[in-house]
Amino acid sequence: MLKKVWLYIEQSWLLIVSSFIFGLLIAVTNTAWQPRIEQNKKDKLNNLMNVLIADAEFELAVPDVQVDLGRGKFAKSNVYKAIGPAGSCKGYCFGAEGAGFADKIELVIAVDAAFEKIEGYSVLSSNETPGFGDQIVNDFYRQQFIGAPLGKLNLEKTGDDKKIDDEIVAISGATVSSTAVVNIFNNYLEQMKAKITAEGISADGK
Amino acid sequence: MENKGPTVASVITAGLWSENPVLRLLLGMCPTLAVTTAVKPALTMGLSVIFVLICSNIVVSLMRNLLKPHLRILMFTLAIATFVTIADLYLKAFLPEMSATLGPYIPLIIVNCIIICRAEACASKCGLFISIVDALAMGVGFTVVLCILGAIRELLATGMVFDIMIMPKAFVPWAAMRMPVGAFITLGLMLGLVNLVTGKKA
Repeated sequence: MLKKVWLYIEQSWLLIVSSFIFGLLIAVTNTAWQPRIEQNKKDKLNNLMNVLIADAEFELAVPDVQVDLGRGKFAKSNVYKAIGPAGSCKGYCFGAEGAGFADKIELVIAVDAAFEKIEGYSVLSSNETPGFGDQIVNDFYRQQFIGAPLGKLNLEKTGDDKKIDDEIVAISGATVSSTAVVNIFNNYLEQMKAKITAEGISADGK
Repeated sequence: MENKGPTVASVITAGLWSENPVLRLLLGMCPTLAVTTAVKPALTMGLSVIFVLICSNIVVSLMRNLLKPHLRILMFTLAIATFVTIADLYLKAFLPEMSATLGPYIPLIIVNCIIICRAEACASKCGLFISIVDALAMGVGFTVVLCILGAIRELLATGMVFDIMIMPKAFVPWAAMRMPVGAFITLGLMLGLVNLVTGKKA
């Protein structure tokens, strides 16, 4: 028995020692840089929210709101309240996600304080096809959502993209990505409104 | 016995040209095709690979006399995974936008054949100095090819290189160059050109 244990140690001591050393190295590196990585994530989210609702401070209003994505899938998202210089609520921002053409699309969506219209969206992450699906970050598509009523949005292949209503004109050659963004809005808006109201925050942001 | 091994000059020549990992050995094709939509991500990937190659070659070279044959590959992978994780954390901390652009391709350096190939072919057999030179030469050879590929694709896809407009205003960008087809065609033409230069028959 002792001979077997000795043989095992003799064969694998380098692997065991190396594992400890490499593990320690990663732990030290992670400890040193993790605060900066977390700060980068917060800064990115804050920057995106500031683009959507300017001149506002953001505070966490409702943490971990669960949203039903359909097909038995759920996602959690934090809801941030945008507070203007006068202390009034300027709107809400929250993360949203859904399946895109190539991979998951993650958005930051902003709505007004009364939950009646959309303030816009920014893309947090996406791996959509370069030159086609990745145009969801472009103004042509994004600006159709600014001021659109908070309700079910419909995607149209042709139409007037300057007209602000519940009809969104798809990106040519990227129908799947366009549909994915509209679906994310349709999945999240009503559920978020219901959840936020249920948390005791009235629709006018008070 | 050290003097019977490869010389510094032969190691440098091999990495940069005669055994260039991309153009001659066709190794590391995944990042070569995936991250060369522009020069910046190509350069970042190349520098990350150089860092991992040098660190893993140093570790493997130092422990080469202690390695058991059946645990060799496991030890290589352990060392490579550690330095790739450090490179990934560095990019997330200090170059977050580039980290997001490169996505999963930095963690995927762990399975990049160039790294394990150099650990097996050079670092596990040679001294520390030659192992470092080999890592540097192979890494620079890989990075230069990635940057050339990235520059061609970025130029034809956007008219710019390093965000500097090169093409005339009338130039119509070739969207296909940003897509996988652009990577395959450009790399194919580069390989063909290299074969032509070296007189190698298909």
